[in-house]
Amino acid sequence: MKTFANANARSVQDAARRARDARQTGQHASFAGGGTDLLQLVKERIVSPDLIVNLKTIPNLSQVTRSSKGVSIGGLATLDAISRDETIRRDYPVLAEAAASVATPQIRNVGTIGGNIAQRPWCWYYRNGFPCYKNGGNQCFSFAGENQFHAIFGGGPSYIVHPSDTAPALVALGATIRIAGPSGERAVPASEFFVLPRQNAAVENVLADDEVIASVDLPSPVAGTRSRYFKVTDRETWTHAVVSAAVVMQMEGETCRAAHVVLGGVAPIPWRLPNVEQMLADQPITEDLAARAAEAAVAGARPLSHNAYKIPMTKGVVRRTVLQVAGKT
Amino acid sequence: MQDNPRRIATSSVSPMKAIGQPTPRIDAADRVSGRATYTRDVYLDGMLYAQVLRSPHPHARIRSIDLSRAKALPGVKAIVTHENCNYVWGAGSIAGGVQYNDDLKKITKQRRYAFNNPVRYVGEPVAAVAAVDRHVAEEAVRLITVDYEVLPFVLDQEEALKPDAPKLWPEGNISLTARNEAAPTVSKRGDVEQGFREADHVFEERYSTAMCHNAQMEPRSVVAHWEGDKLTVYTPTGGIANCHHDIARDLGIPDEKVRVICHYMGGNFGNKNQNQDTDLITAILAKEAGAPVKLEFSRKDDFIGMHGRWPTVQYYKVGVKNDGSLTAIQLRTVSNMGPYRKNNGGVAGIELYECPHTESTLFPMYTNRTTSANYRGPNDPQGYYPIQSLMDDVAYAVKMDPVDFILKNMVKDGPRTRFTNYTLDECIRKGAELFEWKKRWKPVAGSGDGPIKRGAGVAFMSFRSGVGNSSAVLTVDARGQYTLYVGVTDVGPGAKTTMNIIAADELGVPLSQVKVVWGDTDTCPYSVGESGSRTTIMTGEAVVTAARDLKKQIAEKGLPTGTGLLKASASPNPRVEGKTRNCFGAHFVEVEVDTELGGVRFLKYVAVHESGRIMNPLTATSQIKGGVGMGIGMALHEDLIYDRRTGIPLVTGYYFDRIPTHLDVPDVDVTFIEADDGYGPYGAKSVGESGMIQTPAVISNAIYNAIGKRIKDLPITRARILGALA
Amino acid sequence: MSTDPEKPTEQESDVTRREFLGTAGAALVVAAAVPGVAVEGQTARPAGTPSRPRTQIRLTVNGAQRRLEVDDHWTLAEMLRDHLRLTGTKLGCERGECGACTVILDGKTVYSCSYLAVWADGKSVTTVEGLAKNGALDPLQQAFVVHDAPQCGFCTSGQLMSAKALLSANPAPTVAEVHAALAGNLCRCSNYSRIAEAVVAAGAAGATRRTSGGGQ
Repeated sequence: MKTFANANARSVQDAARRARDARQTGQHASFAGGGTDLLQLVKERIVSPDLIVNLKTIPNLSQVTRSSKGVSIGGLATLDAISRDETIRRDYPVLAEAAASVATPQIRNVGTIGGNIAQRPWCWYYRNGFPCYKNGGNQCFSFAGENQFHAIFGGGPSYIVHPSDTAPALVALGATIRIAGPSGERAVPASEFFVLPRQNAAVENVLADDEVIASVDLPSPVAGTRSRYFKVTDRETWTHAVVSAAVVMQMEGETCRAAHVVLGGVAPIPWRLPNVEQMLADQPITEDLAARAAEAAVAGARPLSHNAYKIPMTKGVVRRTVLQVAGKT
Repeated sequence: MQDNPRRIATSSVSPMKAIGQPTPRIDAADRVSGRATYTRDVYLDGMLYAQVLRSPHPHARIRSIDLSRAKALPGVKAIVTHENCNYVWGAGSIAGGVQYNDDLKKITKQRRYAFNNPVRYVGEPVAAVAAVDRHVAEEAVRLITVDYEVLPFVLDQEEALKPDAPKLWPEGNISLTARNEAAPTVSKRGDVEQGFREADHVFEERYSTAMCHNAQMEPRSVVAHWEGDKLTVYTPTGGIANCHHDIARDLGIPDEKVRVICHYMGGNFGNKNQNQDTDLITAILAKEAGAPVKLEFSRKDDFIGMHGRWPTVQYYKVGVKNDGSLTAIQLRTVSNMGPYRKNNGGVAGIELYECPHTESTLFPMYTNRTTSANYRGPNDPQGYYPIQSLMDDVAYAVKMDPVDFILKNMVKDGPRTRFTNYTLDECIRKGAELFEWKKRWKPVAGSGDGPIKRGAGVAFMSFRSGVGNSSAVLTVDARGQYTLYVGVTDVGPGAKTTMNIIAADELGVPLSQVKVVWGDTDTCPYSVGESGSRTTIMTGEAVVTAARDLKKQIAEKGLPTGTGLLKASASPNPRVEGKTRNCFGAHFVEVEVDTELGGVRFLKYVAVHESGRIMNPLTATSQIKGGVGMGIGMALHEDLIYDRRTGIPLVTGYYFDRIPTHLDVPDVDVTFIEADDGYGPYGAKSVGESGMIQTPAVISNAIYNAIGKRIKDLPITRARILGALA
Repeated sequence: MSTDPEKPTEQESDVTRREFLGTAGAALVVAAAVPGVAVEGQTARPAGTPSRPRTQIRLTVNGAQRRLEVDDHWTLAEMLRDHLRLTGTKLGCERGECGACTVILDGKTVYSCSYLAVWADGKSVTTVEGLAKNGALDPLQQAFVVHDAPQCGFCTSGQLMSAKALLSANPAPTVAEVHAALAGNLCRCSNYSRIAEAVVAAGAAGATRRTSGGGQ
């Protein structure tokens, strides 16, 4: 593997400053939360850091803190911890389920919530080092190439799909991402954290090179809120979602008062479906409504040459998840 | 969960002491404690580390290689390229897919070298570096500059057949035979045209199968070490003897100047049974550097630098009468061999059926993809899947239960083929009974309400093991302690333990009274490679023969005294004259197909096999269960996809290859029907490959029964299922 | 904290000396038992190796405290295998995709190919070599033997470590629980049902032992 130095950070600001300082001396720095995926990218020379800033040494960054406003999940909280946390399992099952669905036990044991939402794409062109937008180039090889796992929504000029399972859950839950930089913090709604390729095809989110995810904050759930994460993979584990859905609904008896429906695996960002959300609001959830919601879910889909199968799959995922959240299956 | 296989003994099988008892592997304690030494666990004093530079182009002529910057890097000790390492890699060579030997070496036109120019696939070795550690070697590889003249390329085997396709070799893209003839291979019986005239129905279909990688868990690595003119190579190989001879032949040194050691190996599955280019490259680096060298493949190196199963396109035409009897089978196969021909490229399956008129034409094509060759049942699963899917369709079309159709048309023990024993009908009937076929199979494919549909399928197998012969040496000392020398490694099926069991029973002593010495060509006699499901038969027969000889010596002379030893060597040449010796089997599976999401779930999997007498039911059962698991990967997931515009492989590791996990493989209900046909050691026949080869076929048939749509391309992905239902 | 080995910081060198004196005895025993291990505190670097950032770490390896100086870019697997010669930990992919390198770090399974040795500072690692006690196989290893869980054996160490971590949290798991907990460990021999059989049997045997032990 490439040679680099490791620096153990003492705080999020310390981490951010180390990254900034490295850059100012012409060095490339990378942050390591769990570090699993970073090391794969380093081994493949897709990322070539001179300095790795280890975030695992920052005290208290992996805490899950409860307050009257909701829950704050430290950026270093592991996916395993999130999937087992009693409050999260009770109040935000969509997030616990999403975290539990990531990769494998070994990866969930070290992989963090910050790393999961900020992870790079798992497109085979990017991971094999093709000079694509994500690797500093100026084309997307999937568009005219092997795009069976690529985007049916929001693509262009890059057609990657966002790989995170927890990201759709966080968008559906209305989470806020707290970001620490060298000179302070900022808070960004999860729905504004992710960046479409037409805004900037080189990146997937608004993080600057010297910014670290300090926490992910979830608002207290409204009474009657129920949620689920449904993920379709091609083999049963250690693949990202072919299509997934995070559905959060505020139920009153049979009736859905408000719904948040966000898809994974289909777009370069977690893909929210406002038309479906409107269709479900203030309606009793029936088989028929779920089927119509499923049709509406794919209204704007634009499949590529090899991924049209994601359209019926998306319909199936939306239909079933809506019914499951409503307790209809 | 079924702890042990169900075993049904026929009258010919009489009980024995150790043979037939479930016996844990004699080296299991080493395998579970971390003590088992695999090649990468070998560390020698002063050892250097090697890395390979690979071609980024699918087809290019190397104009020049600039090594100056790499050589200037501190810690770099040796670099080899096609300019200073021009050895022919015989086992990877062309020769029409037959075993390369000294005679072929003289005439073969299309030679494969350890380093080739031009390079013909992305991943082909261009240079290798030995340095003080792996990180320096990796840096050095990056500092080598190669000037390429990029040439046009072709990836698809049918494209390669077109007259205007880019040519990989001056002689064209049809792989030459061992006699340097560029022509398809044709085999025929009867007259298919007559057969089609006699048919009431004619079915024509195109099927395709994907390239799958063996993907054994141990990535290739080699340690090479010269002491004077004697070369020692630690290398993962399922055939130390073949590997040993191959290395000596390719390097042009006497056999006795080469020693090959492989004590443990992390899976074979057919792509480690001869020598490899890595053995030659590492040996030459070690010689150049004057120090031991360890070459380590990354998983990506292994995927793109080692061979996988050849992809195929198969065109079938089948004639059948109203009563369901077959009149003709015609097949045209185009196989994708990559740029070098390492095996025959054929597909099995036609021989499974009684049919008066058959014709099979094979085009083994060169393309600019990673080389294709042996992978567990080299010709079989990619042939069984299409023909047994098509015959399943024929059964529905003539309104027959597929089990009845198979029983009517399957190969019989008769004038055309004489088997040493025949139990195919019994395997199928027993399987149907255990599986409750009549209950699970739906006469109307695709029927049923709701998005999740169930279906059942059947497929069968008649498989002949590879041929060859082995030797064994057995000694006994004054204390009555026996030592058995066999050239096996135990790549997973349990060969060492099997040999121990056979020797102990033949000698009439407990297992512990026989010490097994294995895995080293300096101490062990010749053994066939652990490929072709033949080690139990061939090496086992040698063990029996040696044991009988030694017993005779003991009877005549008594046990030796003092430090003396009695020794018996055997090199029998077991042959079956005028008959065919096959193992038989039938698989049944029930699946649930999600028609909204395209997924396949397994509800019940029954495998009934007849492999003669089972030497060790514990390990034999593991072979069948594991074979089914691999077959599931081939059926549903694995496909080494290339980017068509650049010729670069995209599936370069386990993540993209989607090999089955703990959650993808059901438990398999295994039954062995046991028989003794009087051949082999105590009637033992082959096991290793037989578990996998009908799995894609049986899954295909169950999916059809569930959804009423036939998927004609492997793998049967969610995308293909949803595509078929759209 | 990354350091140049020639210039350790004050704070670190103090810690180094103090801790080293306290643990040298135990560490030396281990060093003697594992042939080929470099002098404690200074892992081997062949002559001619270029200078790279190095860091001193403290690590408990299979119960013995160690002090090691490691290259910052060494993975935990690389340190265990190449420098401590604990080669039972296998490398199947080096990309966190196969699980052959699984070790237990502070009670949790990790892919040691995808975790830097420097990040393990202050932690405790258990490898397959740490399962047997006083030369006797762990009951889990025994169950692997009896149930033929290893075919080629290359994935076995990793399967064992995931199984060990599972049994610590859930002493008598079901087949389904075993498959889920071991989902990050590939077996290309596809011997998954044998592996699950072995883990379930080890769990059941453990439950029996605990029950009968409690009654005495």
